[in-house]
Amino acid sequence: MPYDVTIDRLPIFSLFDLKGPTDDLANWAADLPDFPQVANTRTQGNGVDLCFIGPNRWLLCADIKSEDTLITALRPAEAPPEISIVRVSDTLAFFRITGPDAAQVMSIGCPLDLHQNAFGTDAVSYTEFFGLKALVMRCDGGFDCAVEQSFGNMIADYLSRAMA
Amino acid sequence: MMNIPCPFCGPRNEAEFAFGGPVKPDRPDPNMVSEEEWAAYLTQVPNPLGPVQERWWHVKGCGTWLTIWRDTRTHDIVVRPADAS
Ligand SMILES: [Zn+2]
Repeated sequence: MPYDVTIDRLPIFSLFDLKGPTDDLANWAADLPDFPQVANTRTQGNGVDLCFIGPNRWLLCADIKSEDTLITALRPAEAPPEISIVRVSDTLAFFRITGPDAAQVMSIGCPLDLHQNAFGTDAVSYTEFFGLKALVMRCDGGFDCAVEQSFGNMIADYLSRAMA
Repeated sequence: MMNIPCPFCGPRNEAEFAFGGPVKPDRPDPNMVSEEEWAAYLTQVPNPLGPVQERWWHVKGCGTWLTIWRDTRTHDIVVRPADAS
């Protein structure tokens, strides 16, 4: 029986990889939301998502239309040596899996416990998806999942087969 | 499948990790040990029947390297990373 889900390939996002001590990053990059304090969670504000994805490491996600504004605000090329800011917008392909069976479809490819009490609304984590490193987070009615851009078509194919 | 405690992420499926090999003893000064001891250091990999200290890399997760003691008979993680929850 087919799964009751909708799978959309999302347009490209504006993404920045931020590394360094929280205080240094927060001082350098004004107008960002508060940095999340709990591992594998995210905060939102000013149209920006800040995802705490590793020790001293954050992924900033925003609409691609904000890219120029963000580059002006973040000044990646002028960042001091304690921190690193790298634009990685073209490195990830995002998929949105929504519907009553979204968690079922996710569970085919992802070993994480995605129940609401283990993986809440603000949860975000790198994990595995169909054998690939992938970023997984909740969205309204389901999950967003991002893999390396070059695997985008492959994951689209896997997902369509998983749903059949 | 093992459930490996990551200091950053908490317990995660073994599939998210890459095996980094057993922790080797410190490199001795080759001039201070016998040839047998030096050859043993170069060629022998710890492979006990029982607990072995190992490095694992959370490569599909947060990127942290961690050290555990794993019992080779049971796959039980007998000593967790000091900073893992
Ligand atoms: Zn981790």
